[in-house]
Amino acid sequence: MTAITHYTTSTVNEFQKLKRTFAFWLTIISALFIPIIYLLYYLIKYKQLIPTEGVNPWDKFIVEQIRAAVPLLVPMFIVLVTSLIVQIEHKSSGLKHLFALPIPKWSIYFGKLTAVVCTIIIAYTLFFIFMVSVGYIVGMIHEELKFVSFTPNYFENIKLLFRSFIAILGIVGLQFWLSFRMKNFIIPLGIGTVLIVTGLIVYRAEEAVYFPYAYNMLSLFPIDKDLDSLIWFPTVSIYSLGYFLLFSLIGYIDINRKNIT
Amino acid sequence: MNQLIVKTKNLNFSYTKTRKDIEDLGLEVPKGSIYGFLGPNGSGKSTTIRLILGLLKKQSGNVSLFNKEHTAKTRLENLDKIGALIENPSLYGHLNAVENLKIAANYRNGISLERINEVLEIVKLTHAKKKKVKAYSLGMKQRLGLAVSLLSNPELVILDEPTNGLDPKGIIEMRTLIKELNEQYGTTIFISSHLLSEIEKTCTHVGIIRDGKMLYQDTVKALKQSKGKKMMVDLEVDKFIDAMTVLEELNKENTSLTDEFIQIEVESKTEITTVIDALRAKNIAVYQVSIKNNLEELFLSLTEN
Ligand SMILES: Nc1ncnc2c1ncn2[C@@H]1O[C@H](COP(=O)(O)OP(=O)(O)OP(=O)(O)O)[C@@H](O)[C@H]1O
Ligand SMILES: [Mg+2]
Repeated sequence: MTAITHYTTSTVNEFQKLKRTFAFWLTIISALFIPIIYLLYYLIKYKQLIPTEGVNPWDKFIVEQIRAAVPLLVPMFIVLVTSLIVQIEHKSSGLKHLFALPIPKWSIYFGKLTAVVCTIIIAYTLFFIFMVSVGYIVGMIHEELKFVSFTPNYFENIKLLFRSFIAILGIVGLQFWLSFRMKNFIIPLGIGTVLIVTGLIVYRAEEAVYFPYAYNMLSLFPIDKDLDSLIWFPTVSIYSLGYFLLFSLIGYIDINRKNIT
Repeated sequence: MNQLIVKTKNLNFSYTKTRKDIEDLGLEVPKGSIYGFLGPNGSGKSTTIRLILGLLKKQSGNVSLFNKEHTAKTRLENLDKIGALIENPSLYGHLNAVENLKIAANYRNGISLERINEVLEIVKLTHAKKKKVKAYSLGMKQRLGLAVSLLSNPELVILDEPTNGLDPKGIIEMRTLIKELNEQYGTTIFISSHLLSEIEKTCTHVGIIRDGKMLYQDTVKALKQSKGKKMMVDLEVDKFIDAMTVLEELNKENTSLTDEFIQIEVESKTEITTVIDALRAKNIAVYQVSIKNNLEELFLSLTEN
């Protein structure tokens, strides 16, 4: 087999292992969480939420939900889902089996990492689909909310989600390594939670651009002076990708050297 | 026959700095053999297997598989010919048997769905193939783990305590299966166990390990002969003291550690009759005479300090 087939085989297998796992359900529940709250909010309080004439209600509707998700829900989801996906292997003491198979070790590590990243992409996609669906649902129930008369600003909204996604990758690299290394899933979970809270406290500081756990918050605000608001790759995105590559590589080198017990 | 499928030389490994867990281990598994790797708990059997497979990094020495040194370069090529079951089987509890086997099959080249059903049949799990593995019993998991290791028709099968958790019927089936694999396909089989009786019944070769050191390594035949023709016999009698006097006259020494049995050594089976006759002549009742498994004795004497 070639390197490519090793990699695709490994990745496809990782997805098969996700069938019927809690990680799978967590992805759907997390993506639904805020849209459901907004569904109830708009159904109950629709009288106060009727937009002024000629204003697109979608902008406020979607940006508010993204803002609600970014500080805590998104990073906690990342930490949890990464731990859970890797935990499937620890729970079945699968590593000793995988590392004794005729497949390169890198394909195991990066195949699983790919599955994690894809799961996160799926979560973002579902989140967006659910937000738009909820908008149309409440719009159809209460026409005066004007959701049906306007269309969502897809391009700008997706850009905002994309920035958040790239900003989160630095954490993914580190959390994945920690989860892979430690059989006890409380440790990466604990470390992740503490660092996320730290990120929330320090993100306003200038030095926060070096702290990947603050990047998701920073992805909302254009703190770099590049442009006023929405560019696809703000500074934190570049740093986040850098951290992702760095941690993934260190993680792989570490796992490759490690004794599998 | 003289080709070695597994060969280790001066293998050393420690989990911690304070002690050596594997010391200068030299292991030689000939092609086509059933090699029993025997040792008490914590003697280093699983550790040796992990070293052979490259899961643990050896501190010194070398490992050759299929006459090739097991290095980063030959790793995949060697592992392709091996099916292994290491300690408790690696299975995904939330998936069923077929899904587990499919995943294991995907990692290798060209394993058909038929082969999956075939191995399920071999380990007698066809009836439970759609059941989630977390609902399996210990022995069923062990069987499925064995099925995974057989999937690719490997040249070398490594089984770490395969009968762990199996019922008596399962143990006998496992024995038959191992012999069949060996005879029909010429598969070399490496089994670890802490039960000598198991090894004695199935294996052609044996290696005995204690505290990470190889104490004895040869064919099972040679092991049986090494103890000579002498046999240990346990006697249960009613008048213990009287019996001792009779035995002293026959120049037999009691080597038993308990008061329930008298243990003596005899040269041949006919000598047992002589002993019984002598005891009966003195009206001592003989309730039980049993020949001890001398391999078991040997194993204990080898592995005890
Ligand atoms: N993960 C580990 N970390 C530290 N020491 C270990 C580890 N695993 C095993 N050991 C030590 O290595 C030695 C050999 O253990 P090993 O598991 O190889 O024994 P074994 O022969 O397989 O025993 P058993 O019959 O109980 O399976 C023991 O002293 C054990 O305490
Ligand atoms: Mg063991």
